[in-house]
Amino acid sequence: MQTGFLALVLNAHLPYVRRPDHPRYLEERWLFEALSETYLPLLRLFRRLDDEGIPFHLTLNISPTLAAMLGDKVLCDRYVDYLDSQLRLASAEEERLRGDPQFSRLARLYAELYRADREDFDLTYSRNILGAFDYFYKRGRIELITTGATHAFLPLFRDNAEAVAAQVETAIVAHRRAFAKHPAGFWLPQLGWFPGVADTLHAYNIQYTVVSTRGALLGDPTPRNGSFAPVQCPNGLTVFIRDSGAVKEVWSETEGYPADPVYRDFYRDIGFDLPLETLSPYTEVGPSRIFTGFKYWAVTGKTADKKVYDPAAAAERAAEHAALFLEARKAAATAAGAHMDRPPLMVCPYDAELFGHWWFEGPAWLEALFRKAAADDFLSFVTLDEYHRAYPVNQVSMPEFSSWGDGGYAEVWLDGSNDWIYRHVFKAAERMSELAERFPDETGLRERILNQCSREVLLAMCSDWALLMRAGRAGNFARRQVEDSISNFGRIYDMLCSNTVGTEWLTRLEKRNNIFPAMNYRIFRKKR
Amino acid sequence: MATTHPALTSVILIFQNVRVTSEKFDSLSLEALYGLADKMGLDLPPGLERLFVIEEICDALAEDSEDRRAGRGEAVHVEEKKYFSRELDEIESETGQSAPESPVLETRYNETLIRGLVRDPSWAFAYWDISDADASILFGEESSTVLFLRVIELGGEDSRREYFDIPIAAEDYQWYINLPRPGVRFRIDLCSRPGESPSGRIRVLARSNDVESPRQALESGRPLSDRVIKLLELSGIEELDIEVVRDENPQRILPARSGQGDGE
Repeated sequence: MQTGFLALVLNAHLPYVRRPDHPRYLEERWLFEALSETYLPLLRLFRRLDDEGIPFHLTLNISPTLAAMLGDKVLCDRYVDYLDSQLRLASAEEERLRGDPQFSRLARLYAELYRADREDFDLTYSRNILGAFDYFYKRGRIELITTGATHAFLPLFRDNAEAVAAQVETAIVAHRRAFAKHPAGFWLPQLGWFPGVADTLHAYNIQYTVVSTRGALLGDPTPRNGSFAPVQCPNGLTVFIRDSGAVKEVWSETEGYPADPVYRDFYRDIGFDLPLETLSPYTEVGPSRIFTGFKYWAVTGKTADKKVYDPAAAAERAAEHAALFLEARKAAATAAGAHMDRPPLMVCPYDAELFGHWWFEGPAWLEALFRKAAADDFLSFVTLDEYHRAYPVNQVSMPEFSSWGDGGYAEVWLDGSNDWIYRHVFKAAERMSELAERFPDETGLRERILNQCSREVLLAMCSDWALLMRAGRAGNFARRQVEDSISNFGRIYDMLCSNTVGTEWLTRLEKRNNIFPAMNYRIFRKKR
Repeated sequence: MATTHPALTSVILIFQNVRVTSEKFDSLSLEALYGLADKMGLDLPPGLERLFVIEEICDALAEDSEDRRAGRGEAVHVEEKKYFSRELDEIESETGQSAPESPVLETRYNETLIRGLVRDPSWAFAYWDISDADASILFGEESSTVLFLRVIELGGEDSRREYFDIPIAAEDYQWYINLPRPGVRFRIDLCSRPGESPSGRIRVLARSNDVESPRQALESGRPLSDRVIKLLELSGIEELDIEVVRDENPQRILPARSGQGDGE
């Protein structure tokens, strides 16, 4: 007997890190690693389940910045170079470890991974990863939704309605270009919600979104089904609520499944163990050490004396953890269902890159989850869209400002490391609205200039830069991204005000920051 | 006549979140520092020297920040793993091959304004600027002019609005402001007055946007049934530090325990 629903929502997102003017750009490896360890393994998982007729209903957000990079020829070419380099490193490792059965088996594991990635990317999907996801979308196996154009943390822009609307509208246009369909759902970047965003989403015909448990429970009025059913804003926007129990088991660095001793250790990597001269032909960063993706050790525990990774034991554990997860959800559904007049829903939103990139066995866990759920009619996986269609009427409640960051509000994106951003970004957004009002009907070169201006504002709004500054990781890089975008904007603004245009510079900038080809700067006009 | 809320003046705290420095507390009286320590749950013996009180507060803030970062379930920690190719900044410094430096941004836009951003139920951030023209009038004619922020609670009648003031220096351009309580709407005025005359005429140089701090307690417009309370518990309301109290009035929901991050 069915007693509940599970909605798995994956957020696939990376900030825009394309730099064609640099022969090697380290940050592009973020994309290549995510492709190799998460996106392509996910697609293989979908294929296997689809071939066997096992349902795998999940909702996947592909952010507009990620979609732009996945569809970019320069990056696709570079990704193939990266894979070839990884395959060469795998061969060298197989050779180096020949005679050591334990380690050579692990080197072979990576050789197989990158070989499968190379074959899938180039041959199976003809370098069209968006098309591959779209295939499962159009077949109704998964649901694709969108998010803020550059993943801006929207609550901090609550007093700039044009900037918030520009994030939403640009994202929708990009989604429609990529998948020829209007997205029904919108992933709030960092689950950053504030009450006013409901109006913006509703105005763009978005049907639903997801908020944190805290934001929903502090809503007005209190949701009478807790987090086990969505609520509806007064304007009709449906708001799904994150299930805090399901999140902790998967998400926690210390107590979650990924911390299990038998799983592959994320941190210990041959990039830091082997002599530099052995690695430098493959890492392309000269005399520096970086993560290579070749990791031979298990989590083991809080010790430097790590055990050798055992893929078979890890796969077995992933299956056990999938069973445990389902059991825990069943228990929660049974307990909640006793107090509800409909089957409880548990919404489990995660970053997609958790699966495979950080938690190497994550895709295996997901696969086990779908297989076990298919064999058991107690709980069903649903997409947000499927649930929304089945239960279109929900309690009216307006969630409170919240996010999924530390503390539950905005402290990740607004602290001493990153607060300087906002003075500049707000000014740029205001000036962009001013330009859009002053020049509403431009064509030709001036329209191009204004469109590029809009791109730079959106790029500066990206929440990842603030996050990286706070984390102290790649903080200088993040700072430069904001400074570049703001100074590009300032230069264009000055050009327009003084009626002088540096065409050569503009063309170079358009080629470099070529995101959102359908950009229409008028999205920044005041909403009337 | 407007009044200063007594509870507010005792807990004004201004600090930069990442590096809490003792200088940030220089403008607070010893009484205000004790009030703040008390609010933070520090049990300090009476009669401590000012310096030691500030040290205790700084240590507690640094520790709290560490605890929150190490806390479980922090989504952003996992998110950071996406960017784990290596400390890219370190690589740049090792190789000396950093990407071209960005142009240095202008730090100000030469306009008189103030803007407020709410960070969480306890803190807001304000930044401001005074145009060169306004500054020359302010400091040219009356070199003793002092500046301050007036944080005004909105919602009631103008004449009965509560507020508190935060003294600022001419070279300051941003502050974090400790808010009196969650769930209030307020505005921040950037003000000046003659330094030699504390009761002299106050000039409002700029007014911020309205800022609203989020609620920290359940919005229980009407009594909640046991059924609802059970579902809230199953939803993890206790782990979010939002308490459901059943004693005297079984259907009453009390505010969250203050000052603790949930790291949801």
